Amino acid sequence: MNAVRKAVAKGWLKLPGKLKSKLWWLALPLSLFVISESGAYLRLQTFIRLHQTPQLNVPNGWPAPHYDFADNRVTPAGFELGRRLFYDPILSRDNTMACGSCHQQFAAFAHLDHRISHGIGGVNGKRNAPGLFNLAWQPNFMWDGAVHNLELQPIAPIENPIEMDEKIVHVIEKLNTDRRYPAQFRAAFGSNGIDTQRVFRALTQFMGTMVSSDSRYDQYLAGNQSFSAAEKHGLQVFREHCASCHQEPLFTDYSFRNNGLDRSPPDRGRADVTHAAADEGTFRVPSLRNIELTAPYMHDGRYATLEQVLDHYINGVQPSATLDPLLAKGIQLDAAERSDLLQFLKTLTDETFVNDPRFAETDE
Amino acid sequence: MSPSKRADEAQGFYTGNQRIAGAFLAAALTVSLLSGCKFFKSGPETFSARLEISPVVGDQPFQLDDGSGAVSYRTASGDQFSATRLRYYLSNFRLRRADGSFYQAPLDAKSSEGYFLVDVAVPASQTFKFIDAPAGDYSGVEFLVGVDDARNSAGVQTGALDPARGMFWTWRTGYIFLSLEGQSPQSSAPQHALTFHVGGGGKDSLARQVYLPVGETPLHVRANIEPLIHLHMDVAALFHAAHDIRLAETNTVMDSAQGAVIADNAASMFRIDHIHNEPRKASHAP
Repeated sequence: MNAVRKAVAKGWLKLPGKLKSKLWWLALPLSLFVISESGAYLRLQTFIRLHQTPQLNVPNGWPAPHYDFADNRVTPAGFELGRRLFYDPILSRDNTMACGSCHQQFAAFAHLDHRISHGIGGVNGKRNAPGLFNLAWQPNFMWDGAVHNLELQPIAPIENPIEMDEKIVHVIEKLNTDRRYPAQFRAAFGSNGIDTQRVFRALTQFMGTMVSSDSRYDQYLAGNQSFSAAEKHGLQVFREHCASCHQEPLFTDYSFRNNGLDRSPPDRGRADVTHAAADEGTFRVPSLRNIELTAPYMHDGRYATLEQVLDHYINGVQPSATLDPLLAKGIQLDAAERSDLLQFLKTLTDETFVNDPRFAETDE
Repeated sequence: MSPSKRADEAQGFYTGNQRIAGAFLAAALTVSLLSGCKFFKSGPETFSARLEISPVVGDQPFQLDDGSGAVSYRTASGDQFSATRLRYYLSNFRLRRADGSFYQAPLDAKSSEGYFLVDVAVPASQTFKFIDAPAGDYSGVEFLVGVDDARNSAGVQTGALDPARGMFWTWRTGYIFLSLEGQSPQSSAPQHALTFHVGGGGKDSLARQVYLPVGETPLHVRANIEPLIHLHMDVAALFHAAHDIRLAETNTVMDSAQGAVIADNAASMFRIDHIHNEPRKASHAP
């Protein structure tokens, strides 16, 4: 206060005439008191936190997202609640397994070193846990596309007997008896009550705002970073041989294809959902963003390294009735093309995303 | 930043917030006043009509079994069955006007109003107000057995459409439109189980539309008359209508390919037994 008074006296700080009145000097501490006591300070904090909460911003040159947050506005309380739910094993039958158990941030939310993940009690799953990012752009979910709304996706792993083996009704009962959840739901949705819609909308606020768009590739396109000669050549090779399915900027066209893993596919894939013969053994084309981090690869996690994946496409494509025509002859690459492509694929790693503290597990 | 400046900004934020809150309050007040007053409501005034559904098998009342097989029935082809659970969705009710056009109550994407989960084990679920329609005479009622495609693939819903109600597939998106669980000695499934989970959206949606004419006397929807349609839901038709279902072959139905046959039959389960054009008990009773 004295600093202000001094500043005014010396003429460094010019205040409007009325501010110089004695009355105002009384009003200032009073208003400070009122502000701190009335919750306005808290609201100011909330206002600041709102800007720290991720929002779904569409990166330059990207298409419009598929999920519409208009009915599910991302708020600090909603996002925080979603984050807590994502990392809370309360969502599984015996409270041992969270979403975050098989979706680890350092692996771009895939499951490092797990060909397939195991559910509670050690039961083995059937398919590889994919990385989670840019989900708001994804029209359908799971390797077979069985789920076609982001809000509904977590119901599948929660209720799957070989994953979290829990019932939504029971999850809601457990959340209701928790010490902190009821207040968190009230803060997030403006009124008392925990129901299915609120649980999954909160999770969506967390998962749907996980955007990975700051890889070296993105920086290169934006003109902020340069590529080595090998990486530039690798990008060329990629665009010529891979981009028809792994379309930029999301590095997938979200189609379902048979990439020739087996002569007679043991897993029906998309045909589980459509019952169409043409879909036998087809799976969702995964994004290649963060591909360096999301090993092992393929729907069943059969390949541990990117080298093995390239081996498959160059030498190992198996013919079958539903093999994608684009892969009929495999992908023809010479040694230089192959090694430069590998260099390029590593530029898709987004360190900002995998180190973003907002998506990390909280200490509570 | 000097303390006074910080206070100024904080205060500015506070008063700004208050002003916005005030504006919202005023707007909310106006809206609630307007909507509370019929005069400002868009469209004509509407009045409710009710539906009561009695499950039957042929001409006898249908009852659920407790799992012991004590309450069983025979299909038209002679297969024996008992059901421990029978639940289904009805939605998209429309009333046919004398000129052949239909009245359908507007649906609110944010609520599950207009979607009904009927559970034979829960009597209260079998009698409900199915529509609010303008006063008039209506010659028939149309509805969907199941959930329309838009809602079937929308985000997480509440009320009758809450996925936690056990009529939502968990491994794939979409509602189970009709679920019958029970037993049949003819069933080749373990424990002679009978499991029909019928549903599926997309271009081959298994939701089936049903139209039922009310007969000679039209349905009178009036300020002082609340009509009631008494439906019979014939469980026998589920096994024998457009398709004849033999329980030795068809006893476990989960996918949409097999489900289509059951869905076709489900559309034939409903018939109007009679209607009442009864004096409305209390005005605007739910």
